[in-house]
Amino acid sequence: MNGQPGTVPAALTLRVREILRQLGEETGDEPPGFEERVLRAAEGLSNPETHAPQVAARLLADRIKKTRFELNERVLELESLYDLGLSVAGELDVEKLADEILFRSISLTNSRSGALHLLDQGRVTVSRSFGGPLLSPESAPRIELCSDGMINNAASSQPICGEPVTNCEKCLVVPIQREGRRLGILVVADKETREGAVADFVPSDARLLGLFASQAATAVETARLHREAVEKERLERELELAASIQREILPRELPEGPGLSIAARTLPTRQVGGDYFDALRAADGSLVFVVADVSGKGVPAALLVSTLSTSVHLQLDEARDPADLVSRLHRHLFRFSRARKFVTMFLGRFHPGSGDLDYVSAGHNPAIWLTGGGEIRELPATGRPAGMFPDSTWTTRHITLARGDRLCVYSDGITEAQNSREEEFGMPRLKEVLEASRQLDVAGALEDLFQEITRFADGAPQYDDETALILSR
Amino acid sequence: MNEVCKVEIVREGNLAVLRTDGYINREGGEEIERCITRLMEQGVSRIVLNLEKTKIVNSIGISILIEVLEKLMEKKGALAFCRLTPTIDKTFRIMGLAQYAGIHDTEAQATAAISAAS
Repeated sequence: MNGQPGTVPAALTLRVREILRQLGEETGDEPPGFEERVLRAAEGLSNPETHAPQVAARLLADRIKKTRFELNERVLELESLYDLGLSVAGELDVEKLADEILFRSISLTNSRSGALHLLDQGRVTVSRSFGGPLLSPESAPRIELCSDGMINNAASSQPICGEPVTNCEKCLVVPIQREGRRLGILVVADKETREGAVADFVPSDARLLGLFASQAATAVETARLHREAVEKERLERELELAASIQREILPRELPEGPGLSIAARTLPTRQVGGDYFDALRAADGSLVFVVADVSGKGVPAALLVSTLSTSVHLQLDEARDPADLVSRLHRHLFRFSRARKFVTMFLGRFHPGSGDLDYVSAGHNPAIWLTGGGEIRELPATGRPAGMFPDSTWTTRHITLARGDRLCVYSDGITEAQNSREEEFGMPRLKEVLEASRQLDVAGALEDLFQEITRFADGAPQYDDETALILSR
Repeated sequence: MNEVCKVEIVREGNLAVLRTDGYINREGGEEIERCITRLMEQGVSRIVLNLEKTKIVNSIGISILIEVLEKLMEKKGALAFCRLTPTIDKTFRIMGLAQYAGIHDTEAQATAAISAAS
């Protein structure tokens, strides 16, 4: 080496400066300290002034390569944020979305591991971790974070909001939130360096992950809303299917004949109701009719109605009398209804020729008997609802309908129909309407009844199915 | 997917297929680099990297892949990638890897392309 140890010969310095000046015209200003690096690299060579241009070119090429890589990294960060807003927001499966968010977060921050816990109303619904568990899912709802998140560069000894962090030295936690609602937390841990060390997380990391979490929140919310919409649609389809099954259960036509006119209608408050009516001829020519109200609503009630209907049809000609038929139905319901659902029902066997009516009212509303002579009588319940207690028994009661008599059997949705002032339609009003429509045929009387209820309710929402059956001799 | 990257090697003449399983970070990248360096010492110059079981890469892993690619190119070798996730595909294109190494859908396509490369 020329000159004094530790000093660079002036000639070499001048030569390097000349080279850098020429390079600078092509590439812009050389980076700080670059001249020093070129000098140090060149002075170790046998003929430094001759080799200086190659040394400068090699170091500059490395420098450009590194800068280009860093620039690409910034582009990648921006693209990742942009992508999450587009492609990931198009991912409607929350589970897949969670994987995508976690993987991208770890990759974006050069972390070794990460965890994502998604919350719904404070409850953890999806948990993902990569590289070992960092924060337990149960701790996620308890961690209070500001929107900027939290850097913890001493995670091995310092918990986050009192919650221990495991399997890492340093971590960065950001909330996933939207319009002030917490949707989850995102944690990344142990930022790598090329040399194999673990670097500190810095505020720019928190800003980047915070932006990413904000995009993720939109994607999570979209996926959730989609899932809820799909679930709602599935339930609606299920209800529609159950409603169509129930429509099939209800008789399309009711028996007619000498000494018999009958009309019935049910108006479910939901697509699938818990009310049921039927009227069918038994083998002996009598008419068996039933009005029933199953406890509960929706699909479970519809399934019980279906069971009840099948049982009535199967047991109709086997039973001695209405009490025997109700007992058989009760045993069947008690055996098959695990949720201990019960049924109130009025079940009658009517002989149109004689006018004899045998009936059982299992905890049902009093039926209304309008005699041709102008009397209005109530037929109260004769026993407990079916399916409720194992040892229930019923007794058959008997009346005779004279020509011109009329019987109205109904569910409690009729008398308990409400208007906006929460007044009930009630028994007196029901009797009044039936009395007023006595001159009409049964179909007309039934129409009148439902019209009166609609007028009374005046648009107020109803919470129970409305069913009525009117039979006339 | 493994959390620590594992590499399976299938060699045929001067061509080798490396199937990765796990995170290509510094550790994963160095494992790939070790495998390729060893293969190069044994005369292999054409490498296919099948990333079917890799769902994450980071920029340190990518910088190592670039170094490996440069070494291969110095020796007139070639590198091709296949079975990338859409995210990794995009990442490689942004980070400049796709400029010097082909990206293919299947291992067969990558092998055919790299065998044909002069």
